Amino acid sequence: MRDSISGKTSLRRKGWTRREWHYFWLGLIFASPWIIGFLVFTVYPFFSSLYFSLTEYDLFNAPRWVGIDNYKAIMKDHNFYKSISNTLFMAFISVPITLLCSLLIAMLLNFKVKGINYYRTIYYLPAVIPGVASALLWTWMLNPDFGLVNIFLRWVGLPDPAWLLDPQFTKPSLILMGLWGSGAGALIFLAALQGVPQTYYEAAEVDGANWWYRFWKITVPALSPIILFQLIMGLIGAFQIFTESYILAGGKSGNSLGGPGQSLLFYAVNLYQEAFMNLKMGYASALAWILFIIVMLITLLVLKTSRRWVYYGGE
Amino acid sequence: MKRKGSILGLIFVFLLAILSGCSGKDTPSPGKESGETKGGDSKKESVELSFWYGWTGPEGEALEKLIKKWNDANPDIKVKGLSQSDYQKQLTAITGGNPPDVASNFGQDVVPWGERGAMMPLDDYIKKDNVDLGDFVPAALSSSQSKGKTYAIPIAMHVSMLFYNKEVLEKAGLSGPPETMGQLKEYITKLSVKENGGKLQRLGLWPGVDAFTFSYAYGGSYYDADKKQVTPDNAGVKAAIEFGKGIWDQFGSSELDRFASGLGQYMSPQNPFFTGKYAMTIDGEWLPTFIKQFAPNLNYGIAPIPYDENNPNLKNPGNVSTSVFYIPKGVKHPEESWKFLKWITEPDQMAEFTAAIGNLPTRTSLQSNEIYKDVPGFQEFLQYSSSPNLHSFPATTFSSEYMTEFSTQYNAILRGEVSVDEGLKRVKDKIQPLVK
Repeated sequence: MRDSISGKTSLRRKGWTRREWHYFWLGLIFASPWIIGFLVFTVYPFFSSLYFSLTEYDLFNAPRWVGIDNYKAIMKDHNFYKSISNTLFMAFISVPITLLCSLLIAMLLNFKVKGINYYRTIYYLPAVIPGVASALLWTWMLNPDFGLVNIFLRWVGLPDPAWLLDPQFTKPSLILMGLWGSGAGALIFLAALQGVPQTYYEAAEVDGANWWYRFWKITVPALSPIILFQLIMGLIGAFQIFTESYILAGGKSGNSLGGPGQSLLFYAVNLYQEAFMNLKMGYASALAWILFIIVMLITLLVLKTSRRWVYYGGE
Repeated sequence: MKRKGSILGLIFVFLLAILSGCSGKDTPSPGKESGETKGGDSKKESVELSFWYGWTGPEGEALEKLIKKWNDANPDIKVKGLSQSDYQKQLTAITGGNPPDVASNFGQDVVPWGERGAMMPLDDYIKKDNVDLGDFVPAALSSSQSKGKTYAIPIAMHVSMLFYNKEVLEKAGLSGPPETMGQLKEYITKLSVKENGGKLQRLGLWPGVDAFTFSYAYGGSYYDADKKQVTPDNAGVKAAIEFGKGIWDQFGSSELDRFASGLGQYMSPQNPFFTGKYAMTIDGEWLPTFIKQFAPNLNYGIAPIPYDENNPNLKNPGNVSTSVFYIPKGVKHPEESWKFLKWITEPDQMAEFTAAIGNLPTRTSLQSNEIYKDVPGFQEFLQYSSSPNLHSFPATTFSSEYMTEFSTQYNAILRGEVSVDEGLKRVKDKIQPLVK
């Protein structure tokens, strides 16, 4: 501990002493398992996928250089556009709804009522269940005939949609499933909520600010860094969405993935289909790079605009 | 500012992780993972073969019985069976250089995998041991062959016929099954029942049914090998699509979705054909076995697939698919693998296995075998399986992609998202560039 601090300060001087070099190398050796893992499992695949994206590669034969043909073919591929629009729908509809919902849950869980710890546990529980298990569970919940959701809807006299069978309702079904797991996000919000100094609220109350003003002028700005973090993680998660679609609209042999009317053909699902069902690794690598660029651009955009609405305590 | 930087860094690392997850699998492994050679290197007689098959449950047990028989007779080549229905794992194992010694797969994967070099061509062995390929049903064998090479031996084949609910037909005043496509259309209209509120109660035939089977009824074909052209826009294929579309539009997507939502599981007594919600259905040779199990009181008949009245020479059409055994590329004991593969596809073993699981044998010499006498529905199916108008989807490197894309666009056409011509053009545009 002490040595690392002294090492840091010495950076400002011109050269390192032998002793400092010694610690530098020692530190590298201790970090080497991670460094090697990072190079072998992250950096190398990262750049080799860039290379593969410029080739035609089927796993068995040596990759054949085709230049940007894969990218050109993607631009003409209607599955690509379908998957993009499905994925964007999830990113821009599902993510904000989920965020709002978890913030709401977090605020409810922040009330000091009797047995609040039990409520907190209950709301967090769904997040513990693995994706595949919860997807399978929801196929039963959303069963049009005897699923609990439709039994309830019929009971209150609302229309009962065919959920996972009707192309118009497949994505809303996924959003519903996502909301069920929003306790995980709520937990992070809850931690942040408890970090907001009570004095702000007290001062505001003295000034006569009502509930809405306190929420809007104190809670939201104070939580904004966390909202930003959750927003970005949510967006990235939405671009990666795969499990639910694969389980709910699972491909039998010879059938295409993506569910009724391709309404669940998400980007990652399309990529999987091209890579592992059609054995087009080059094409799939190109798809992966396009995804990378899209996610990068959207993330940068969010970060750029965030300067206007994110407040950090220190500033 | 500093914190934002670290968040950006975090995101970058996450993205890298995602990408490595996707691309990590495409990098080829150097080939000698965990140098285990399954015994055999020191003792030259005793060899252990691993055998991966896709059947599970009682069907897997039927295969294990055969494996036991082999092991009892061949102490020098021990076969170890593994029920492994994830075919992606086979690919991973083959590219990783540590494949199973013998494996099963679907016929439609054979040529795509074989031509890319994942399967060992068997022709030299077939020649050496004088295996008579002439005994195999041509449509079944052809799905395992490409450019003069045989990559796999079909063990079982599947073909669909028309099943009809006799009671329902009689009540509607129809004495027998439809024989032509024109009659089929009339039957569907007659047999579909709507409740007073307009809600569908019974459907004559589910309109999204197997377009492949019907396209052969109209004399369609999917590939012109001479011109190297994919032909999803072929007149016969188009006629089949339009047939499906015609029935679909009679009821409409929303009504059909609502109807479908109330249908029970396929492998259960609630199968819509068993409960009378479908008056007719197009299904394979395994269905009578299911009916015996789930709906023993169902009064049903099995009839040939209707033919196009303008093409009476195309009677008894059908789409054949197969299950095959193959030897992956890079196995350590090809001789022994072949010995087992050859044995298990011999008439006796094939008969025992296919009769046990209620699948059709691929050898014509077995079609009159006594063993199938008690398999329900097999008299009709065995006879049908020698029809000259059976076809299998053309075996090419791109066939699985072609079938997937075709099904996708067929669905989009039914739902009215694209026109028939536009949908079929999309298939052609996507698949034609893959032809080499």
